[in-house]
Amino acid sequence: MLTRRTFVQAAGFGAAAFIGARGRENSLWSLVEPTLEAIEPGVICLASNENPAGPGATVLDAVKTAFGPAGGRPGRYDGSSGALIEAIAKKQGVKPENVVLGCGSTQILRSCTHLFTAKDKPLVGTIPTYEECAGYAEMMGHPVRAVALDANFKIDLDKFAAAAKGAGLVFYCNPNNPTATYVGARATRDFLAQVAKDSPDTYVLVDEAYFDYVTDPDHATHIPIAIENPHVIVARTFSKAYGMAGLRMGYAVGHPDTIKKMAEWDAGGGTSSLNVLAMRGGLAAIQQDASFITAERARNTGVRDFTMKWFSDRGMKPTDSQANFMFVNIGRPAKEFRDACRARGVLVARDFPPFEKTHCRISFGTMDEMKKAVAVFEDVLKKKATAA
Amino acid sequence: MPVSRRGFLRLIGADGATHGAWLSARGLEAHFADAQAQGQRARPVLPPGVEEIRISSNENPLGPGRAVLDAMIGKFPEAGRYPFNASPTDSALVSALADRFRVKTDSIVLGAGSQEILKNAVRAWVTPEKSLVTSLPTFENCTNFAKRQKLPVAEVKVDSAMRLDVEAMIAAASKGDAGLVFFNNPNNPTATVHGGKTVADMVERIRKASPSTVILIDEAYHEYVTDPAYESAVPIALSTPNVLVARTFSKAYGLAGMRIGFAIGRAETLKPLAAMRMPYNVSAFGVVAAMTSLGDPMHVANERARNTDVRAFTMKALLEMGVKPADSQANFLFADVGMPAKDFREACAKQGVVVGRDFPPFEKTHCRISIGTMAEMQRAVEVFRSALKTTTTTAASGGAKGGR
Repeated sequence: MLTRRTFVQAAGFGAAAFIGARGRENSLWSLVEPTLEAIEPGVICLASNENPAGPGATVLDAVKTAFGPAGGRPGRYDGSSGALIEAIAKKQGVKPENVVLGCGSTQILRSCTHLFTAKDKPLVGTIPTYEECAGYAEMMGHPVRAVALDANFKIDLDKFAAAAKGAGLVFYCNPNNPTATYVGARATRDFLAQVAKDSPDTYVLVDEAYFDYVTDPDHATHIPIAIENPHVIVARTFSKAYGMAGLRMGYAVGHPDTIKKMAEWDAGGGTSSLNVLAMRGGLAAIQQDASFITAERARNTGVRDFTMKWFSDRGMKPTDSQANFMFVNIGRPAKEFRDACRARGVLVARDFPPFEKTHCRISFGTMDEMKKAVAVFEDVLKKKATAA
Repeated sequence: MPVSRRGFLRLIGADGATHGAWLSARGLEAHFADAQAQGQRARPVLPPGVEEIRISSNENPLGPGRAVLDAMIGKFPEAGRYPFNASPTDSALVSALADRFRVKTDSIVLGAGSQEILKNAVRAWVTPEKSLVTSLPTFENCTNFAKRQKLPVAEVKVDSAMRLDVEAMIAAASKGDAGLVFFNNPNNPTATVHGGKTVADMVERIRKASPSTVILIDEAYHEYVTDPAYESAVPIALSTPNVLVARTFSKAYGLAGMRIGFAIGRAETLKPLAAMRMPYNVSAFGVVAAMTSLGDPMHVANERARNTDVRAFTMKALLEMGVKPADSQANFLFADVGMPAKDFREACAKQGVVVGRDFPPFEKTHCRISIGTMAEMQRAVEVFRSALKTTTTTAASGGAKGGR
């Protein structure tokens, strides 16, 4: 049932191979996972915060039209990045010069880290958070400041603002991956104002990858701030609620001067890193009726309520999830839980130090998948933890 | 076809027809920054109702084979999965390439097209103190990227036969301050190639004079070469420190739109590229397309034979018009049209034929023409004939503003 395909032969790359294969995982932010496994039919993947239903018919129909006569489009360089930029600008109420595309938001995160950190300009991030920026900064030999989360696994804004002083770039992931917690729009605005006042040369990258899953009423994008303040950038992705992780498309919104710097460093347009299917799909996704996202949010919220209640009822309180995944204290090492679940056909996420001895990140699949998954969790968790 | 022609036309219509006709050549790149800096790029406007023959971007005009398209369609249920969760995974593509070249997986680094490899090579090995040594004209990706970063670039002009000037490049690379040598073989846009012995000798001499200089040999058009003296530099890259080869699925494999390239070389040479590689840089669709292509060697063999025939036809037709192209070992040719490329391009575009961009320092006289299908080229040479007649009068005015 499970592919036991281990890619240990990639070990020759050193850590870089694994980093490349599954996000920037490094000694500080996360342990390198020794094996990667392809998913086979029947396996429930709750490991990567994907939309389990995919992008939907509208987007797939648009992708299909990219298969022109005689296989035209996949064989041709595609110049439709301009159309996608315009559509994104329209959707977000900004101008095209406020938008740059990326091969997933990964490319956006890398461009920012490269441009705005230096040997004397550290990257500041919470620990844990999404590892891409920290991993890239470490590879560049740029210092990284890790700021602990508060007791509720939320960003500790006072500590974060203090650490931001003199920093090159603050990576502000909200909702935060892997903890799923969310800082309200007002508090984030205050934080951005605080950093602008205390450390005006510091850039803040607000990663809104999970924006569409938030149900907290105090919710707003920080794009309006980003287009005014050259030191604030908002990253977005089509990999999450839009269900296009396999296609690779993301973007940044910011001040034209900042966007220009990013484009010059790593042009995310045209034939460079963006494939034609992602551009066609992205265009259809951004132009489709808003009900797609509303429905996906509602679906996720239902599954989230179900799954979080299941854990709470058993005395395992997850953090307050505002995303399509949750972070829960399972009272045992994530690896032990992960391996046991994997043996039963359910994949949950990698380790997230410093909580790898107690907590696991679980993405939300479909309701049907989660009903099956909790039966597996029940079975796994009733066994006494061996190493906790 | 998996998609009806009507569906496709509807898409083009919805897009306003123009996007399909964008001149997004390899190297034209639609860089946002470039667009901002230089304004809208010159894009010939086709008269309404004229069917486009796009011979501007050195693409395989037939695209990937049916097996590849079907495999990509089969990927739709996994569109929402990251490439490492899809099947096959992106790691499986690395393994498949390693198997094909009989190397370990650490001798392969995937790129979002070979352009990611080229850019990361500049990032890794060109510094304010260590220059890029390249040729002129050549594929501009490394040159433009280094210049944008204000890094030093030495551009060595091609020789009178439009071949890379190997002796001059060796001299430039041997001064001790060269970080990276970019050697495009066959060379885009001139289509000329150097034989295996010449390349081996060049590598040896540069390595002797400047062992820390990294030599990147871009073999994007490898599959199209018919010159018996040519040999791939992959064996050299695998046996020699600081040498690597870039390859792509964008040309003979017909997958330009999917953005899949790779570097091959010794693991220690590729280490910086492996570290800089963007995670998930090849989409789940790109992975399955590339793997299916590798399992269909006849598609590339047929494409090579097809290109060789059409290339010979086009070459002969041009020679008959008194236009002498350089020796072509690729799926394009570089021809002295005796007028600015811009004038020739615009004249051809009026009749639906879209040819290559400007390539300084030859933009006043030469045009790059990609090899389309036989039917396309039969029509195209007639257009060339009329363009050459009607526009010779304007050639003297020399209106071309250097592209880049």
